Amino acid sequence: MKALQRLAFLALCLVLLIGATAACSSNNGGSGNSAATSTGSSGGGTETKSDSAPASQSGKEIKITFFNTSAEVNTIFEELFAKYHELNPNVTVELIPTPIGGAQIEIFQARLASGNPPTISNLDPGHIVQYMDRFLDLEPYRAKFEELTLPGAVDGGVFDGKFLGIPWTAQGYGLLYNTRVVEEAIGGKFDPSTIRTRDDLAALLEKVEAAMGVPPVMIHGADWSLGAHYFGALGFSLQSRNADERMAYWQSVKAGTAKLADNAVFNGLMDTFDLLKKHNYRKNDPLVANYELDSADFAKGNAAFYFMGDWTWAVIGSMEGRDNDFGVLPVPISNNPNDYGNGQIAYSEPKLFAIDNSAATPEEQQAAIEFLEWMLTSEEGQKAIVEQMGLVMPYKDVKAVSPNVISNAVAEYVKQGQTIDIGIINYFPSDYWANNGASMQKYLVDHVDRAGLYQEIEKYWQSVK
Amino acid sequence: MKNNKALRNTGLFLLFGGPSLFAFTVVFVIPFFVGLYLTFTKWDVISNDGSFVGFVNYVEVFRDDSFLTQLWFTIRYVFFTVIISNLLAFFIALALTSGMKGERWLRTGYFTPNLIGGIVLGYLWQSLFSRVFPFLGQKYGWAIFETSWLTNTDKAFWALVIATAWQLAGYLMIIYIAGFAGVPKDVIEAAKMDGAGHFTVLRKIVLRLSIPAIVVCVFLSLSRSFLTYDLNLSLTKGGPFNSTELATYHIVQKAFLSNQYGIGQAEAIVLFVIVAAVALTQSYLLKKLEVES
Repeated sequence: MKALQRLAFLALCLVLLIGATAACSSNNGGSGNSAATSTGSSGGGTETKSDSAPASQSGKEIKITFFNTSAEVNTIFEELFAKYHELNPNVTVELIPTPIGGAQIEIFQARLASGNPPTISNLDPGHIVQYMDRFLDLEPYRAKFEELTLPGAVDGGVFDGKFLGIPWTAQGYGLLYNTRVVEEAIGGKFDPSTIRTRDDLAALLEKVEAAMGVPPVMIHGADWSLGAHYFGALGFSLQSRNADERMAYWQSVKAGTAKLADNAVFNGLMDTFDLLKKHNYRKNDPLVANYELDSADFAKGNAAFYFMGDWTWAVIGSMEGRDNDFGVLPVPISNNPNDYGNGQIAYSEPKLFAIDNSAATPEEQQAAIEFLEWMLTSEEGQKAIVEQMGLVMPYKDVKAVSPNVISNAVAEYVKQGQTIDIGIINYFPSDYWANNGASMQKYLVDHVDRAGLYQEIEKYWQSVK
Repeated sequence: MKNNKALRNTGLFLLFGGPSLFAFTVVFVIPFFVGLYLTFTKWDVISNDGSFVGFVNYVEVFRDDSFLTQLWFTIRYVFFTVIISNLLAFFIALALTSGMKGERWLRTGYFTPNLIGGIVLGYLWQSLFSRVFPFLGQKYGWAIFETSWLTNTDKAFWALVIATAWQLAGYLMIIYIAGFAGVPKDVIEAAKMDGAGHFTVLRKIVLRLSIPAIVVCVFLSLSRSFLTYDLNLSLTKGGPFNSTELATYHIVQKAFLSNQYGIGQAEAIVLFVIVAAVALTQSYLLKKLEVES
């Protein structure tokens, strides 16, 4: 009998344990749900009063969540949330952090799958495209944001005609140059607008190499740089100034009807790549691809040119013994100075704010938009983004000055409208950069010739559904 | 009364074995069968499509050329890793049981790499191969080290093997030391009396009597090197141009980079079957060599 009692006791313990965990989880869900329904019903109440009353002044407690994939600036966002809460005590913004370089989108997927999506999500445009149906169409605010931002900035958040992502940061890339080294080599002031063709660039590289005594171009041998930034993004984006034509060309590559070898843009791009390869500073071991080392060699003037973007400031900005002045050149793909790409640099919005439309109440959505508007237009918000995060905002009248010399050089091109829209990559599958990158790496170390490169890349695109 | 005793036994078993049985079921058995089930579904996270598709994923596995190449690469890697790490461990263990000074310190030293996680270890070796060795190579003109080993497809393979074997050897060494300690001294003495030299004693006595240790070591090194992932990730990241992707690395890329979860999971099951078959066959064959002293 005693044993039976013990067994019963054990079983009871087990049941209690399982019950406790189950209760915990259901409790969470339950309270979340009841909160949602109560705000939902009160939201309905306020709606009858006035539709346009700001949520922050309605007096109702509102909690919104903010999913952040720019993990390196989690704390800066949290400071902004606290500041906003001080200004609007009834609105609480809660951060859902993600690990730097870790499983970020997986957390988002889990949130979606559990019916608990974040109110605001800071995502890559490509992910917004993937989950398009889950996000709020911001059409009513489009005019307002077009007013606030630089020309073309809103277009980066428009997918299949719907304005889903609010732009807040932008980055550009091209052939960066170290002004001191280039000017010493040519013996005078360097004007980047004098380089508009491949021959111009070739002459410049010859001159600089002769002066420096070493090959002056740093080609970063990583797959993302070669496969995404150089080959994929430039190659497909430069096909046409018209977005539909670019898309159509990509579709025909996927269908196998267009051959890369017959394409002037890809051939021109690879001719320029051959030129850069000839002057590659890392010629002896091109695939080392150590980002810190490559950036440092460029910043200190060991190499004069660097195919990279303004984000590299995060590494070189705080470096000791670096040069102070840097600029950016387009990557010329032909000898006609007027060809698309020869005077423009690639420019994109790497992250966008999207607002949930699958579980958020209208009141939460309203609060989210008000919060974002405050963050993007107030001085506190802009200073945090520009000065603390070191990012560039594609907004008019930004009340903060960026210490990032390279992004300021990029901004010159943006002001003149001389940018390449690389938005087509948002429609590419998530593994394209690794695949195209591997093929480009083979080409860089002469493992395959150009025909082999094209063949591999065509094979990849044809396998994409 | 008899019934009572059986109940008490069950109760006792549940008390001591229950927690680990529970943990084993929750973190291993259930995920394994759920995983097996998932290989028969479409498993699309984005559209939430989990419809049943039968063996389609398995057919895809055998049409995935790169997986088959990677599998062959993995088998070559396992072959060399197992041989090198076991030889190394065997001789280190032999040296460290011969009664030399500072044995304990050396044993600890050789074991230390196992206390470092694979990721950290990979980064250590990565900076050795891509920074330190090329620096020395260029300074002293050693052709073999002039460029990074990690950017050459063949050398990167050996870099992986060396780093894994280096880590594994310390661990296996401990098992070999325990194995040698189990060899009865009287047998060795008797052999020496009969005029057997050092080498003969080693070959005919020590080696034969430590077969159980060898079985365990080969089994451990086999399964561990088949499932290497962290070292692969931090040392070569599968590069240059995906030439050093081990099977596990390829599976993770397939699922989480290419978003082909079903195929990735099916590949994991295929890998499981291969590892299980190889490991069981080898321990069965080696067990046959065991002798009693």
